[in-house]
Amino acid sequence: MAEAAVDQTATPVAEASGLGKIYRRGAEEIHALREISVAFAPGAFSCVLGPSGAGKSTLLNLLGVMDVPTAGTLRVAGATIAEGGRLRLSEGGRDKLRRENIGFIFTEFFLLPTLTAVENVQLPLLWADKDDRAYAAELLERVGLGHRLTHRPTEMSGGEMQRVAIARALINRPRLLLADEPTGNVDTTTRDGIFDLFRELNADGLTIVLATHDRELAARMDRVVHVREGRVVEETA
Amino acid sequence: MEYLRLAVKNLLRRKTRTLLTLVGIGVAIAVLYSLLEFQRGYERGLNAEINQLGAQIMVVPKGCPYEAATIVLHGGKWPRYMEESYFEKIIATPGVSQAAPILMDAMINPATHDNKIFLGITEAYGALRPAWQIDGAAFSGPAAREVILGTSIAEKLRLKPGDTFRLRQDAAGRAAGKDDADLTVVGVLARTRSQDDGFIFMPLHTLQTLFKLPGKIVVVLVRAENIDAPSLERTTQALRDLGGNMNIFPLSELLNNAAQLMQVTKVFVLAIVLVAIAIGAAGVLNTILMAVFERMQEIGMMKAIGASPADIFALIWTETVLLCAAGGLFGIGIAVTSARGIEWFLRRAMASQFSQLPETALIGVSPGVILLCIGLSVALGVLAGFYPAWRASAVKPIEAIRGAN
Repeated sequence: MAEAAVDQTATPVAEASGLGKIYRRGAEEIHALREISVAFAPGAFSCVLGPSGAGKSTLLNLLGVMDVPTAGTLRVAGATIAEGGRLRLSEGGRDKLRRENIGFIFTEFFLLPTLTAVENVQLPLLWADKDDRAYAAELLERVGLGHRLTHRPTEMSGGEMQRVAIARALINRPRLLLADEPTGNVDTTTRDGIFDLFRELNADGLTIVLATHDRELAARMDRVVHVREGRVVEETA
Repeated sequence: MEYLRLAVKNLLRRKTRTLLTLVGIGVAIAVLYSLLEFQRGYERGLNAEINQLGAQIMVVPKGCPYEAATIVLHGGKWPRYMEESYFEKIIATPGVSQAAPILMDAMINPATHDNKIFLGITEAYGALRPAWQIDGAAFSGPAAREVILGTSIAEKLRLKPGDTFRLRQDAAGRAAGKDDADLTVVGVLARTRSQDDGFIFMPLHTLQTLFKLPGKIVVVLVRAENIDAPSLERTTQALRDLGGNMNIFPLSELLNNAAQLMQVTKVFVLAIVLVAIAIGAAGVLNTILMAVFERMQEIGMMKAIGASPADIFALIWTETVLLCAAGGLFGIGIAVTSARGIEWFLRRAMASQFSQLPETALIGVSPGVILLCIGLSVALGVLAGFYPAWRASAVKPIEAIRGAN
């Protein structure tokens, strides 16, 4: 399988420095992330590995600008989200950044049951005031679902639904693709098919960061960031 | 893919719930539409009936003017008379163009409550009815034993020109020494869609003779030379100055008074309808809010893939407005398609307030009322959708996706 050329000297697509996230539940403080410093260069195919509750999803959510840090500095797609724990980008700015630069894939596919596959893929375009059905169909073709354009999620398998979700994440031509346990709801054969698809997308230059607790899957990534109890404990390439 | 299409698809996700909410709004709007149309139809019908009288001023003996007006408009028995000679004073009054003396009487069958209404008229009455078309002929003389029948009564009695109309007095008539008579049907009126369709017309002197009311009349309809408000006022005053213990009032006054009476009823009924609409709004709010709670994760996903709070607000608001607008259209559809049934019900329900309602259809299709009802439905959606839309727009994507909400 071809691998993307990663230019480690180029400006990272996402970069965290001393990143922290504290959740408050009443008087209790939960430190989900502590002092995370990590960077993802353009074209990187990386994975955040760790057990449940380690902070993988929290890190992905911060990198995906769906949540904001309580400490440290975060830069994504050239924009400074937070610096020294202080927010630098408004909510509207974060929405726009997310819409234009980031694709997100969830464990549960979150496809709208009343929409067909191609309509689900087109959905993010609605928020960007665009309409490109041809490109949505092309993406579905690319993920191997060219024959399922007008099928609804209820007529598809778990693997097919995840492929529709991947096509949806790509519709806005993102610079960074984040996937939180993307193979958590599929069998191993389907998992391998999805992984191969990620690899193909990366070969085209897309920066991909997966969060998983699947060590077998992580072993096939270019780079693995090990997270435990909210800290990066090891990085392997 | 556009907002509207997505909103429609979202509404169709829970078809039964959407349908029930839509029906709730529809019923409230149908009632509102029917009442507004009924009121407009009532005013329109009354106006048409007054216009068909061909007169602007009515002169009747003292008594309740509204009762008199009802008798004049719809026929009946009103035991207050004026002397026919008074008519000569009226016709000679400045500002009066034409005047028609009328005697009215009725025979009521107490078993069937069937009314036969008789109008004794002169040629002057025909002058106020230029649109009359008679199948047959006019009366041959001022005291001829002849009748002209309105089309409805002719159909009911199965009589045609040339037939004999047998006048048989009821018990009250016989007790008063009134005569039975056989009269020739000389003509049948083409349908006028007015009260005339139900009347039996005969020459004034014939009716006076048969009903033992020599020299008596009940009402004089007056057509003024000029019908602008100041001229009409002057003519009315001139007629009042004649004295003679008469009620003289312009028919526009009757219309205003009837409209005022209807207005009072309308305000009361509208208050009830508004309560129904408020309940409908609460139902819509509940439906949409439930849908928002059910779709929290989905809304979180939408935000995660780039939807802003304003986008989510607009989507939920669009759904609510669509639902209400569809409910409004459905309600108008119900009201228009079942107008006859609703009108029958309202006529019965309002019978106690209005002794006689215009005979023309009261609930029709009015673009103005349709637009008003649609506007109200949309406004309902705008109001009822605000809170659910705001709740949805305030969702934090991470918490929603985790199902924390």
